[in-house]
Amino acid sequence: MADVLGTFEQAVLLATIRLADKAYGRAILREIETRLGREVAPGAVHATLERLEDKGLLKSHLGAGTPIRAGRPRRYYQVQSKGVAALNDARATVEDLWRGLRWPLKGYV
Amino acid sequence: MRTGPPHWAEALLRLFLKREVFATVSGDLLEQYRDSIHPARGRLRADQWYLTQVSGFVLRGARLWAALFAAAYVARTALDWLRPTTDFHARSEVSTALAAGILLVSGFWTAWRSGSFAAGAAVGLVTTAIAAVLSIGGVALLLAIWHDPATMTAIRGSGNLQESLVLPTFLILPGMLIAGVGGVAGATAKRLLRPV
Repeated sequence: MADVLGTFEQAVLLATIRLADKAYGRAILREIETRLGREVAPGAVHATLERLEDKGLLKSHLGAGTPIRAGRPRRYYQVQSKGVAALNDARATVEDLWRGLRWPLKGYV
Repeated sequence: MRTGPPHWAEALLRLFLKREVFATVSGDLLEQYRDSIHPARGRLRADQWYLTQVSGFVLRGARLWAALFAAAYVARTALDWLRPTTDFHARSEVSTALAAGILLVSGFWTAWRSGSFAAGAAVGLVTTAIAAVLSIGGVALLLAIWHDPATMTAIRGSGNLQESLVLPTFLILPGMLIAGVGGVAGATAKRLLRPV
């Protein structure tokens, strides 16, 4: 069975997939903020990226720095097959939970 | 003129991150500071934003140790209140060794990760400061639950309530020193064991 993902972990993995070869910390943060429509702490994104990499759902490599970063390198992330499987499981679980109900919910309360 | 966040804040961040992670994380923060936060909010608010982000990393680095330290303190207090004794020597030895052990390991681990000698003292300071708040809250909770006459007698016999509430703040300086020793050991071990 694939790893069980929290909502924020799903947001990080999906942002990484969307950004493809441009997925580094700051870009992932911006993508998540755009999708969620709220400000997100960089520390939360970095902690999640580190945890997902430790679990083998992501892998990373260093890229070149830029002048605005004072030459400090970027760490680029790529989703691994374990990460894709975990995302597919998460989506399937949500769809199972919603099966038979119409969205948006109306008239239940 | 400074075009980035305060240097001391970056130095603090360096203490709490793995050496190989610092360059990329600080680069991401610097990029965000320069390309969006500073232009939109100005220098003062951008610096405040940066400090808030650094605080997040610092709290993440110290919260486990602070929780363990506070749990040990509250457990010892509960033992003294609920299982009174007149001989506190053995209990003191165990709880002192446990507290020192937590601080030594926190200092060693943080300095091992960052490779910095100062990381131990820094994590000791933050750990004991957070633990002081948690411990005082924990002691207040104990008192809210157990305040019958027998427990109040036990509290007076174990050094009274004031001591239980004030002691955590007195542990901040020694905690910083003990974790500092762990930090020196951790940074030294990192240097000695670094692959050639």
